[in-house]
Amino acid sequence: MTTVSETKWVGRAIRRREDPRLLAGKGKYIGDITLPGTTYVHLVRSTHAHARIRNIDTTKAENYPGVVAVVTGEEVAAAMKPMLVPSIIPRLGGELQIPTVYPLAIDKVLWVGDPIVAIIAENKYIAEDAAQLVEIEYEPLPVLEDPEEALKSDSPKIHEDWKSNVLWHGELGDGDVEKAFREADYILSERFYGHRTGCAPLETRGAVASYDDFTGLTLYINSQRPHILRMALSQILNIPHDKVRVIAPKDVGGAFGTKAPIYREDLLICYLAMKLKRPVKWIENRMESLMTIGQERDQIHYLELAVRKDGKILGLRDRIIADVGDGRTGVYLGFVMPWLGAAYLTNAFDIPNVHIDLSCVVTNKPCLSPSRAFGEFPARFAMDYALHLVARELNLDPRDVFEKNIIKKFPYVTATGITHDSGDYVGAFKTLLEALDYDRVKQEQKEARKNGRLIGVGFAMGAEMSGIGSQVFVAMENQPGYGSATVKIDTHGMVQVLEGDSPQGQGHETTIAQAVADELGVNIDDIYISYGDTFATPFASGTLGNRGASYTVSAAVLACRKLKTKIQKIAAYLLGIESDSEEFIFANREVIWKKDNSKRVSLDDIADVAIMAPTKLPPGMEAGLEATAYFEANIASMLSIGVHGAVVEVNPKTGDYKILRYVVVDDCGVPINPMLVRGQVHGGVVMGIGNTRYEKYIYDEAGQPLCTTLMEYHMPSAADVPDIEVIEYNVPTPYTPLGTKGKGEGVPGPVPATLASAITDAIDRPGFKLLNLPLTPESIWRALNEDK
Amino acid sequence: MHPLQDVQKPGVEGTKTIQVRVNGQIYKREVPIRMLLVDFLREELGLTGTHVGCSVEGRCGACTIVLNGNNVKSCLLLAVQADGADILTVEGLGEPDNLHPIQEGFWEKHGLQCGYCTPGMMMSVYNLLKVNPHPSVAEIREALVGNICRCTGYEHIIEAVQYAADRIAAMPKEERDKLFSY
Repeated sequence: MTTVSETKWVGRAIRRREDPRLLAGKGKYIGDITLPGTTYVHLVRSTHAHARIRNIDTTKAENYPGVVAVVTGEEVAAAMKPMLVPSIIPRLGGELQIPTVYPLAIDKVLWVGDPIVAIIAENKYIAEDAAQLVEIEYEPLPVLEDPEEALKSDSPKIHEDWKSNVLWHGELGDGDVEKAFREADYILSERFYGHRTGCAPLETRGAVASYDDFTGLTLYINSQRPHILRMALSQILNIPHDKVRVIAPKDVGGAFGTKAPIYREDLLICYLAMKLKRPVKWIENRMESLMTIGQERDQIHYLELAVRKDGKILGLRDRIIADVGDGRTGVYLGFVMPWLGAAYLTNAFDIPNVHIDLSCVVTNKPCLSPSRAFGEFPARFAMDYALHLVARELNLDPRDVFEKNIIKKFPYVTATGITHDSGDYVGAFKTLLEALDYDRVKQEQKEARKNGRLIGVGFAMGAEMSGIGSQVFVAMENQPGYGSATVKIDTHGMVQVLEGDSPQGQGHETTIAQAVADELGVNIDDIYISYGDTFATPFASGTLGNRGASYTVSAAVLACRKLKTKIQKIAAYLLGIESDSEEFIFANREVIWKKDNSKRVSLDDIADVAIMAPTKLPPGMEAGLEATAYFEANIASMLSIGVHGAVVEVNPKTGDYKILRYVVVDDCGVPINPMLVRGQVHGGVVMGIGNTRYEKYIYDEAGQPLCTTLMEYHMPSAADVPDIEVIEYNVPTPYTPLGTKGKGEGVPGPVPATLASAITDAIDRPGFKLLNLPLTPESIWRALNEDK
Repeated sequence: MHPLQDVQKPGVEGTKTIQVRVNGQIYKREVPIRMLLVDFLREELGLTGTHVGCSVEGRCGACTIVLNGNNVKSCLLLAVQADGADILTVEGLGEPDNLHPIQEGFWEKHGLQCGYCTPGMMMSVYNLLKVNPHPSVAEIREALVGNICRCTGYEHIIEAVQYAADRIAAMPKEERDKLFSY
């Protein structure tokens, strides 16, 4: 473990290096990439939630001036394998039914928005015009919108060749659950519902593909995982791997998980470029985006807790029903998110006896796609809010119930098999209560109540994944969990770092450079970071799941350390010193002998010898100064804790509530750049508030989406949210070279339980519960009036 | 000839010549009459700093510009409606080596992550600080309701605006006026 005080760049809140170009309007996003001769795609999408396609008439569209081609499902399907090739199917045990997936619908549509026809035209205006001229005859089929209905054995089958509508069913857990429930003094049993919402980024999806017979396929796409996509494209399209190049643009306008899957449109755009031998560009419009991606959560939990009268949780039973939509989006199939929500259900709590039964059910909605707090958002709500309900039922202070159950010894393996590496969860929790001034707020609550004001305080825990090692990741997504990086010192003594991940606003150009600058004793401006191009960067699983600061930064550090061994040998040789290496320090672009600091060589001179004048190298030494490292932590997984607390005031007449304070106590191990960590926490909380209070993908009985604009899907503006206070409580992990852990992915998770418990505390009425998200003034008003 | 001239559809064919001043430079262009202003800026003039986040709803704010002194969503106007207009986009705000105090504020205070909303956000901040040099936090939040940021949670954006306001307040009047000439 390295302490912060020994380092120069790591731990400093420096300005980001990517910002000048973004502030000047010179960022390069997917929408800014246009190749000579580009054609533009517009998709005709289903207007029915479930229907057979009886006829498609594209004649008028084909004849529309400026239209290059009109393409339907069968043609595209004939050119490729079914999209769900074995390498992108998760292997999580249980029973899995795999749908057959092609880019465009053939014969049948399964949700409103299901793509049917692709129009390719000389510009996007023409493509959109011509799309209006496509005539499709549908034969409507019964629509299944409720997963509990879809579960029934007499329900129509959405995928007709399946034996049921259950995409995945399995069980998780360990311990003697029956015994725990027999010995319980009290059993809490409730149905919790976390609605369909997610992380729509401000930049929608987009892709630009080109093809020629010599270099093959080049796909520019704002993907979080270009290497995984390249692998899948090669397999599905049956093109040699050397003829598939995926490039993520330098700048991606947010993703939050939504740009991690392998979408049907990705394959379609590639096929069109191959067919037309012209570049093809597709930029998803907002309506398509709200109809297609970023829909997550959507879990029902029948949760039971076996509780001792002092508040200790002895056991947990949960039956989870997840509405995964059509289940046709690659890699995750809609079920990996609820699976992880189940695996992380017990959160930061020590619950030895657990049994979870998870059914992931298909319906006539778009497939769930990952959204930050991957699968955990409804699970955190159910678990942490349940602890507050237990406290209310047993007349205990929820503070004591939490403290009694929080994990205290590390490493800790949950009954569902998740490894918590290190930390001080109790310390972080107590710090939150101090920051909230809990006892004083409880006192003020009493005073306010006398004046008719309802004040409440609530809190929740969030143990978020900080990358997942290969031990877990290989099974979960059929992909490695390691971080990878290549570090090269160039002919000018500048340092190039190539990473296999591909960021979307996380600030890798700054944070990786901070770590590398310390290792090599150079200035941060001596370092340049390259990413996104699968022809130039080492293989990696992508920027997701808080992997960056845990795994990718660690790989860059290890690559530097490999390089340092060689550099020291060269330095010793040039200085004529007998040295076993590891006897030099790296500072101010120099390599300095510890035993006599007058003996020093500049990094520039070493680079010059190693690259330009290899005759001066020690005899037999290979030329060049570059190293690649793959970092795997010596533990199954790392997590980092965030504890959230809120003080709210509720208006019982309207159900409206105001967040008076929102505080997060946060641990990310060693923060590489504390300013960026705070930014991640702020953004995560506000996304969580949006998901909890303002955002919901609503469907009517016919399966029509009612939220297809940002007017209806209300992502919060600055005026909708409170100030967020962040308090650092960092415990370095012993499992990464710098003690760093990723942060940000799971931050929305604790928000709904924090707000629900605060509102419940404010109302403080026996029997009052908020079991269904979202927490809108209307839902609170209804809960208030139902229990009267 | 522009490809759109080929279109044989009532109400959409035809072009018109417009003249606009964008970031101080005058452009005279023949544009299809139905081309959106945001597409004109991005595709005809190559000013891709103005972004599209919501496809012609006017809700997300990523395409916000200053047009004749007012904030407008450039996805809600046609290019022909901007004929004769004086426009400021993010590219005209400052140079990389001579940033506008608003840009400096966003940089210093980490007011951006993915950067997609940032140009439009800064255009709204520009018009806020032009009329209200010392906004309160509540005033900043209200002024930015037309710009969605999905990354930052707004906390650092507010700090960025405060930083910019302080920097500008410390400048001599002539310099201040130069910063807000649009």
